[in-house]
Amino acid sequence: MSKPKVAFFDFACCEGCQLQVANIGESLLDILDIIQVVEFREVMSEKWDGEFDVSFVEGSITDEHAVERIKKIRERSKILVALGSCATIGGVNGMKNCFPLEEVGKYVYGESYKFFPTLQTKAVHQVVPVDYFINGCPVYQPEFITVLKCILQGIPYYVPEYPVCVECKLNENVCMYDRGLTCMGPVTKAGCNSWCINNGNICYGCRGLTINPNTEGFKEVLKKYNIPEDFLMKKIEMYNKCRELDKQ
Amino acid sequence: MAKVVIKDSPYNLKKAKILDVKTLTEKEKLFKLVFEDKTWLDFEPGQFIMVSLMGIGEIPVSICSSPLNRHYFEICVRAVGKVTNSLHKLKTGDIIGVRGPYGNGFPIKMIEGHDLLIIAGGLGIAPLRSLILYSIDNRRDFGEIHILFGCKTPGELLFEDEIEEWGKRLDIHFACTVDRADPDWKGNVGLITSLIPGVDIDPLRTYAAVVGPPVMYKFVIKELLAKGLPVDQILLSFERHMKCGMGKCGRCQIQNLYCCKDGPVFTFKEIMDMAEAL
Amino acid sequence: MKIEQYRILEKSLINEFIDKLTSISKVSAPVYKGFNNYAFHEIKSADEVSLKYIPTIIPPKKYFLPIKETLLDFKKGNEFKVEPTVEYDNIVLFGVHTCDISGIKCLNMVLSDKPKDTGYLVRKKHITIIGLECNDYCDEYASCAFVGAHIPTTGYDLMFTELTDCFIIHIHSSKGMDIIEKTGIFKPADSNNIEELKALRNNKLRIFNNEIPTERRYLPDLFDRSFNASVWKELEQKCLSCGNCTAVCPTCYCFDIKEDVDLSLQSGERYRLWFSCQLDPFAKVAGGIDFRRERSARQRHRFYRKFRYHIDRYGMVFCTGCGRCSRTCMAKINLKEVLTSLIRESEAKIWRKWL
Repeated sequence: MSKPKVAFFDFACCEGCQLQVANIGESLLDILDIIQVVEFREVMSEKWDGEFDVSFVEGSITDEHAVERIKKIRERSKILVALGSCATIGGVNGMKNCFPLEEVGKYVYGESYKFFPTLQTKAVHQVVPVDYFINGCPVYQPEFITVLKCILQGIPYYVPEYPVCVECKLNENVCMYDRGLTCMGPVTKAGCNSWCINNGNICYGCRGLTINPNTEGFKEVLKKYNIPEDFLMKKIEMYNKCRELDKQ
Repeated sequence: MAKVVIKDSPYNLKKAKILDVKTLTEKEKLFKLVFEDKTWLDFEPGQFIMVSLMGIGEIPVSICSSPLNRHYFEICVRAVGKVTNSLHKLKTGDIIGVRGPYGNGFPIKMIEGHDLLIIAGGLGIAPLRSLILYSIDNRRDFGEIHILFGCKTPGELLFEDEIEEWGKRLDIHFACTVDRADPDWKGNVGLITSLIPGVDIDPLRTYAAVVGPPVMYKFVIKELLAKGLPVDQILLSFERHMKCGMGKCGRCQIQNLYCCKDGPVFTFKEIMDMAEAL
Repeated sequence: MKIEQYRILEKSLINEFIDKLTSISKVSAPVYKGFNNYAFHEIKSADEVSLKYIPTIIPPKKYFLPIKETLLDFKKGNEFKVEPTVEYDNIVLFGVHTCDISGIKCLNMVLSDKPKDTGYLVRKKHITIIGLECNDYCDEYASCAFVGAHIPTTGYDLMFTELTDCFIIHIHSSKGMDIIEKTGIFKPADSNNIEELKALRNNKLRIFNNEIPTERRYLPDLFDRSFNASVWKELEQKCLSCGNCTAVCPTCYCFDIKEDVDLSLQSGERYRLWFSCQLDPFAKVAGGIDFRRERSARQRHRFYRKFRYHIDRYGMVFCTGCGRCSRTCMAKINLKEVLTSLIRESEAKIWRKWL
């Protein structure tokens, strides 16, 4: 059986998730034993004009060109994977949606903004169907490998529905709230093995909100820790603004 | 950290070979299995096994063949999740892992000498088929046998050949219904509960065995109680997501009962006051 | 108290003892992590150890029932092969509080119940427990006196109790005796030491008061009356379903079973992973029906598992009074408060009946 043909594409993003993949280290060789990378701008110049078995897409969709391009990629791909926060939940690009498009355009391009038409930021699944989601800013390498293995085995990958706290507690980290810091762990989807907190940072909520967050309860918690509610809402919006488009 | 092999681990698996795969409906397949080491699976009707697809997962599946069959055992699997979908892709000759049987099964010794009313909804026929085949094989040990079977559409009818055979038997009262008929369907239309009032049973000497989707139980029980069946003669088999099968992992716990160990078959009496059961 | 089962260690020698211990075995002990948090970690020398500590983030059950534990190694396909395995470590746990020891006793009960959990039992054989008695409460969250876990009874190999000028050590097993002999810095106890220990235990009865306004023996009744109590509804509003309470509980043992294949996709391992009844997918079945969908039902389930269900099944209360769940809860769900409200509500109902 020939190796599945895999491609990487980027839209509005920092390409940091692809860098994580390129930097996977030792297991990269084993990965290349089982897949054939046919297109990956960040690491190679070759292109492929056939069908892709698996396409990893980094970045969010922010203009008409991108919409057309992602649709074409979708058509050419048997499996489409959203890679990283920008692709899975819109990510930081979503902050654009807090402002009128015109204002955003002017801010970036000045008066010539009319030559650069733009759209509200969307996550990939808000434009085309997505088969697998690898959350995170950037993606967590072990999770990338896990998802890749699921794809190759033809089985689904379920992003954990519970919060980062679950993994964080098992890593026996000192709770950030005990340190007097506001951490997004309690309302953010797990799957990253509390990567940031293990390394002394707070959780920024890059993996998106949990499926069924007790928002009212969380507000009560914030009150107890004297954290203003809008401070938290801003923190949530940093990564999760595009969530509003899911509800429509 | 030292690592050793422990053969007596309760998580050890036996290799089972797929002897045959039969497509029953769009969603369900029947797998005929045999242990590679030629031992047979010693089980009671209503018990379940844990079926493993290595690298994919392990799921509880009820055994649907007769316990008296010493040649092979069967499971009927609906493709709904990761493991079941992968299982559906397997072919004759493929190997899967099996451990078990687990659970209590139907209390055959209690039922013997009584009439039996079997009520199956959809895939609930799977564990009940084991009981039906057993009671047919030991026909003399049972009084009247009634089988009521319901499913959503005629296309979802499982074990069609066997059903036809059961329907023809003179020593079994069989009735079948679908929620929604198609033009070719000539049988009953309506929920399974609609069949119960018409069954001619002596409630005090009848055991009812009920298996079906979670929503079905409340309504069926109501009808059975209206018929006058005593609460300890209504047998229900529950579906929960057992992970260990040994009363440890907690996934199947219904209040103080472990569905995998104390069940999956409970009398209505045991669980009637229990929230979270139905 | 048989005097020959006791030894004395000068207080100044405690560090020397720990250092000697690390030279003969792998040792794990409570280590300070900052912000009033402690954790059991492998230690190399005595200065890492905190002798005075409040219950660690995760209880030492993690050595008996690892957070992630391989159950099977497998090969798939034509070479189908399954090998059940157990990983274990010869390790001494130093400084285990009596609450955590009683947690391990609960786990022993469950995991040696048939079918036996062979992996657990193998690991247990290789672990030595050196207890450290608390002479006073660790903090306001503890309720160890209520469940009777504040006084050492069984379940350890050695038990250290701090007296005025020395530690008195109770030897409770041959594994414990081994350590006494190998380290060779203990002195025999004399009757004065024993008297002081007795006095200390008597004094503890005064210091440790029943923290909850009922007695253990009334728990089954209380919980039988409380399934529909209003407290659970309050918890529905409060609980964030983060699973912290169960992750830190010394008697929680629920788990999930998962698999991992290597990149060849041909071989891999099946493992189990701590899991929690507080989390969304826990009680879901195929088709998406969740038998404990509400947070209130999940919290209630947790309390009933601690205080009711397992009394029938194993004859034990599955709470050790360590207070971890209350200490760690972001929403400040406090076990002592919940029990107290249950008692108040139940009493009110009974009174109403009588009036």
